[in-house]
Amino acid sequence: MKEITRYAKIWWILTIGTTQIAFASRFGAAIFMIGKLLRFAFFLLFLVVLISKTHSLASYSFWQVIFFYATFNLVDTLPQFFLRDVYRFRYQVVSGYFDYILTKPFSPLFKALFGGCDVLDFSMLLVSAGFIGIAGSHIGVVTIGNAALYILLIVNAFLIALAFHVVVLSMGILTTEVDNTIMLYRDMTQIGRFPIEIYKEPLRGLLTFIIPVGIMMAFPAKAMLGLLSVQLIILSFVVGFLLLFGSYLFWQYSLRHYSSASS
Amino acid sequence: MKKYWIIARGIMEETMTYRLSFIMWRFRGVLQFLVLYYLWLALLPGNQTLFGYSQSRILTYVFASTLMSAIIFSTRVAELGETINKGDLSNDLLRPANYLLMWAARDVGDKLMNIMFSIGEFTILFIILRPPFFFQSNPFFLAATVITIAIATILFFFINMLLGCIGFWSNETWAPRFIFTILLQFFSGGLFPLDILPKPLFAFFSATPFPYLLYIPLKIYLGQLSFFEIGKSFFIASAWMIGVYLLLKIVWNKGMKLYTAQGR
Repeated sequence: MKEITRYAKIWWILTIGTTQIAFASRFGAAIFMIGKLLRFAFFLLFLVVLISKTHSLASYSFWQVIFFYATFNLVDTLPQFFLRDVYRFRYQVVSGYFDYILTKPFSPLFKALFGGCDVLDFSMLLVSAGFIGIAGSHIGVVTIGNAALYILLIVNAFLIALAFHVVVLSMGILTTEVDNTIMLYRDMTQIGRFPIEIYKEPLRGLLTFIIPVGIMMAFPAKAMLGLLSVQLIILSFVVGFLLLFGSYLFWQYSLRHYSSASS
Repeated sequence: MKKYWIIARGIMEETMTYRLSFIMWRFRGVLQFLVLYYLWLALLPGNQTLFGYSQSRILTYVFASTLMSAIIFSTRVAELGETINKGDLSNDLLRPANYLLMWAARDVGDKLMNIMFSIGEFTILFIILRPPFFFQSNPFFLAATVITIAIATILFFFINMLLGCIGFWSNETWAPRFIFTILLQFFSGGLFPLDILPKPLFAFFSATPFPYLLYIPLKIYLGQLSFFEIGKSFFIASAWMIGVYLLLKIVWNKGMKLYTAQGR
């Protein structure tokens, strides 16, 4: 417990630092926030236009599709909010700054992952939560059990995202390539903006079980709608655990091969 | 012209130096294409039409937009703002070459690499997916497509240069570019054909330069614009191109008066 409190304090100090940096230019901060909100709004517009013509998407109603989209945004934004330091990791490796982090009396993985929140994403978290609430009130009767499962699967999705970010960091140590790898992850998750049922097999299976975008983005919403079987719920948590465990092993492997060549 | 070709070749060699990064970049493009392709394939079964598009037209739209994007949107000018902020622009100014043509040469190098790779990707994807592709055979539409792609490429270059000039006044060059990228993503027609939007919205965006960057060349290729509409598009796109160029000249000259090579 003492250790968790210590790390929470470190995270808070780092977050204050990154927040001050983010607001050093208020103009830039405002533009970035407006940009993120515009992107959300424009895609929402696209969905509205699309469903106004087709009336449903993969047999999901308008509000159900909006619920999927809002859930996608929440799952997409949470890692960006908490794990923004991953995007700065390449510089830390090629400049030798990572050596300095290794000498610190805390986990280098913790610093690489949670080296400060991106406060500019907070507005998107609020918007996503707001739309989840609005769409959630239109999708029919929601039981407490389904709502609890929804929250648990969102946490599981965050852990899968965490695992992907650990893999990106590990690859960054081995190859110094981070920027495109993390954007590749972002591109892959974009597939989950729509209900996964719109994709045909074998792509749908691939997206659900091999690249678990379906588990991350679609399963929480499906659980809320009561459309997820017990087997798939269990499988989701197993996949989450295995990916996190596997990514940690890969991190340890990459750390053993860190050559400190750039410092 | 030889010196500009050397600059373009330098960019191509630089791209191949960071091979993994470039391959990842191209792979991302393929992934983005597949998402769009399967989305429209799911929305539009074989014998139906949606928003006036048959499956063959919409899948051609998606395929062609990928190829055209490689030609029109590949750029190195995004680095201009940082070059000004760091004072590295001084290096370019000391060279016995035109600054605009130097940046254009960098873009040409980048475009050639992206075009070469996207043709390869396009061929492989075409063989694997075997889409019901619409091949335009009318020489008029083909010629008009080529001309609008050329105008779009130049217009995009000028807009990018203009955005880079923000570096003369502010260190915040990425934030306005972020907004521009989002607007470009949605209103150039890369994600969906713009004519699916409600008419007032479509009319509003038609007054901006965005549709002329991708949507109009694609519509012309598909043969969905009349002669009058094509002529009107040429006129508006050319007007935007000249207008942005003139604005760029004014902004660049004003910026040069402020430039102090700060950061060197």
